[in-house]
Amino acid sequence: MIQVKNLSFGYTDKPFIRDMNFEVREGEIFGFLGPSGAGKSTLQKILIGMLPKYEGSVRVNGIECREHEKDFYENIGVDFEFSTMYEKLTARENLRFFSSLYQRKPRSIEELLEAVGLLSDADKKVSDFSKGMKSRLNFIKALLHDPVLLFLDEPTSGLDPTNNRMMKDLILEEKKKGKTILLTTHNMQDATELCDRVAFIVNGEILALDSPHNLIMAKGAANVTYTWQEDGEKTAVCPLNEIAGDEKLRQLIVENRLQSIHSSEPTLNDIFMDITGRTLV
Amino acid sequence: MKIVYRCFLQMMRTIRHDMMLFAVCLGPVLCGMLIKFGIPFLESFLCIQLQKKTFLAPYYGLLDVFFAMLASVLFCFAAAMVVLEETDDKVIRYLFVTGLGKKGYLISRFGIPSGIAFVFTLILLRIFSLTKPGITELLLLGLSGTCMGLIIALMVVVFSTNKLEGMAITKLSTVIMLGGVAPYFVEHPVKYLLAPLSSFWMGKGMLEDSLWSFLISLMVSVIWIVVLFIKFQKKIA
Repeated sequence: MIQVKNLSFGYTDKPFIRDMNFEVREGEIFGFLGPSGAGKSTLQKILIGMLPKYEGSVRVNGIECREHEKDFYENIGVDFEFSTMYEKLTARENLRFFSSLYQRKPRSIEELLEAVGLLSDADKKVSDFSKGMKSRLNFIKALLHDPVLLFLDEPTSGLDPTNNRMMKDLILEEKKKGKTILLTTHNMQDATELCDRVAFIVNGEILALDSPHNLIMAKGAANVTYTWQEDGEKTAVCPLNEIAGDEKLRQLIVENRLQSIHSSEPTLNDIFMDITGRTLV
Repeated sequence: MKIVYRCFLQMMRTIRHDMMLFAVCLGPVLCGMLIKFGIPFLESFLCIQLQKKTFLAPYYGLLDVFFAMLASVLFCFAAAMVVLEETDDKVIRYLFVTGLGKKGYLISRFGIPSGIAFVFTLILLRIFSLTKPGITELLLLGLSGTCMGLIIALMVVVFSTNKLEGMAITKLSTVIMLGGVAPYFVEHPVKYLLAPLSSFWMGKGMLEDSLWSFLISLMVSVIWIVVLFIKFQKKIA
């Protein structure tokens, strides 16, 4: 679906993205993770044909991005992080107008509004919407022409937990329909939950690329932390794969003196910090 | 082309819902009526009062030059304001990644309005012109006026970031229309300092009935348009 080979790009003479290579397979959710200024948005702009002056090759749906024609966008849906709606128009008027900009038969506006819980607000002006409502409206705008490839930039940003869940379910639903989704996010939990593969981007370079599960497992086994009472509360930690050899833990289990026990697996955030030496926040 | 047309209609709806922009689009008609009926009346009044054969009549050509520019400038200004509103709403970048594309957007916001401005300018000049120019002169006058409208619209979108700034830049940029005055009032070669302004050549063309001057005006306009267009492309990249 997407092939990037030896991609380099710079806003000035100095390259900002250097010799990047990766592929996104059809039907997968691929995540770009990285701190602000890492090059995620620039990469997305190149992939959607907004920055044609790059070196190397970037093919999306078999088309070299720098040579794309107008119909390139018939197959691409873009959800920017910020609201891209006419503030003076209602949600319905906005969706009606944007759906008229494609040759493909549009999806039902009513159904899309209902899916994100905005049907009752369809005739409200967008300027009266909250940030979360705008975010949901922005998302369904990208689905109007039923594209095969979706670019989502921080789709869950500004959403409360309920709407966050709903948005993630909608993204997974689109995946089930066979769509390829490129997700740019700071949120490691969302990335772990949604992405089939993720790429860690720092300073315009991909430092790691794999499935969240493989990246986490590569870090090593999870740890088990347990506590007991012995002249006050005591705590011990042992690696999960060495648990059978932990005499103290065995003794505590036999004597029924364990107060608490839990395992802690490394998170994608830990892996990101390990690999890049930076946090995402 | 259908999509471009739909996007243009969206711009027209925005203009219709904005009283200021709607009034701006009606401006050339009101101004034309004022010129057509007010100026000859004023001329007769001044000639009687000052006991002169002519007073304003030698400058009717200059008034036509200004009117040709004004009709286009006002219409293109309305289009520029819509572009600024779309920039404010961050819609502009989204439109580039739809079936419309960047090229389609630019045609809908600058190409079609300029074309319409040209046709309207010709019609309005035919109705309200004080000098009744011939068909070639009329076409060149209309084309030069349209170019001036496009130049000012591009200056507005290049140098301002919101509608408020846009209005201030419009006031400033209309100064470049004043080049048309120089050929009428300045005989010294110092007037050629204003030669980089297309309005200067329009004024000269009208005064001397010179098609070459109009052609130079168009060439100068093309340079302005290309430079401003490159700047605008950089701004929206």
